[in-house]
Amino acid sequence: MSARDFSDRDIHLALDAELPEDERALYQSWLGANPDVKARAARYADDLALVRNAVAGIADEPVPPRLAAIVTGEGRPAQPAAGNAWWRQAAAAAIIFVVGGAAGYFAGAGSLEDAAAPADRLADSAIGAYVTYAVDKSHVVEVEGNDRDYLQNWLSKRTGLKLVVPDLSAQGFELLGGRILPAGHAAAALLVYKDPNGNQVSIYLTPEPKTKAKGTYAQGDGGPTAIYWLDEGFGCAIVSSAPKDVLDAVAGNAWRQLKAGLAS
Amino acid sequence: MDDRRRAILEEIPRLRRYSRALLRDRDRADDLVQDCLERALAHLDNWRTGESPRKWLFTIMHHIFVDQMRKDKRRGESAMLPLDGFEAMAVPAEQTEDAGSREVLQALQTISPERRAAILMVSVEGFSYAEASTILGVPAGTLMSRIARGREDLRALLDDGARRRAIRVVDR
Repeated sequence: MSARDFSDRDIHLALDAELPEDERALYQSWLGANPDVKARAARYADDLALVRNAVAGIADEPVPPRLAAIVTGEGRPAQPAAGNAWWRQAAAAAIIFVVGGAAGYFAGAGSLEDAAAPADRLADSAIGAYVTYAVDKSHVVEVEGNDRDYLQNWLSKRTGLKLVVPDLSAQGFELLGGRILPAGHAAAALLVYKDPNGNQVSIYLTPEPKTKAKGTYAQGDGGPTAIYWLDEGFGCAIVSSAPKDVLDAVAGNAWRQLKAGLAS
Repeated sequence: MDDRRRAILEEIPRLRRYSRALLRDRDRADDLVQDCLERALAHLDNWRTGESPRKWLFTIMHHIFVDQMRKDKRRGESAMLPLDGFEAMAVPAEQTEDAGSREVLQALQTISPERRAAILMVSVEGFSYAEASTILGVPAGTLMSRIARGREDLRALLDDGARRRAIRVVDR
């Protein structure tokens, strides 16, 4: 039938433009003589078209500033990311708090991508969760805060942590409820609070191994400030555009309660 | 900014596309690109100038990816979540995907990392077999077998998904 015998291997060579020019006509006639092979070749081609289509838009996305900054040498100096990239740490437990004003600061969120250290990314994730969920007035939570025990059990079960839902009424914050979010390999818990002034607090909880870090993370003029901890298998970041004294008080109170719960 | 840095900058969109197809999750994918760029910038002299940095960058990224997969394996973590876990945690960043794209990207994640990388290098990034063999550090025969098996895996997974949808429709 041809100068050589074709096999399934040639289907892939043909799909990948690796079939020698002078064999292509013979390959086509082989397909013509074997409808089942032809159908399989068409099917592979369709599947590949699906894959290409699914990822086609990614190359058109703007390059995140944190990636461009590495190459241009602008912004922070490059760090040895190999040992502590965030996606290598999805095993134990972390807690992030977000406290934010109800006013949207979505427009400023892009600048967060400049920050690439793991702890910064932790705060970044927390702010992302806040921006995505806490500002959506109609669907802030999946489970309402009026059944605190149920919420606590549910979130603990899903995250694998002994999570205590902190009582922040001393700072005037009332619990709205919580939801589960994806966080790399793990599940994250988000708790949302609000106070009578319209400020909101979100607590974001996700598995995290032993990374130790502590600090603050500011988003710039008028933007929220984050206070975070990563410690002993969990971490905590508190973000707020509320006044610093309110943030400090909420962060301290919530941290004490969570730490006591996780250690119990 | 010198020409070398500018040439590397131009490759970032492709690196991101490959990484996202490989890992699915946007943050993890950009972290991989970040690791790649940092390593590349630290070893800028290893790039033979005069040619595009593309192959060099993809090679670096592949090494980091392989290390990552090895560590995940050693820790007993799968690159995937269980199906029910995955479905329970729809990825917000990917909400703009249509159902077909979501399905094929999820199916890709189920294929072994070696086969997934081979398919993406050749079919999406357009590397020749010779180039992809060099980047992945395997003989051409191994590359071909990964491509063939990976495509067969993908076909079976997509068929399986279609079958399950059909069953759900009947159940109703």
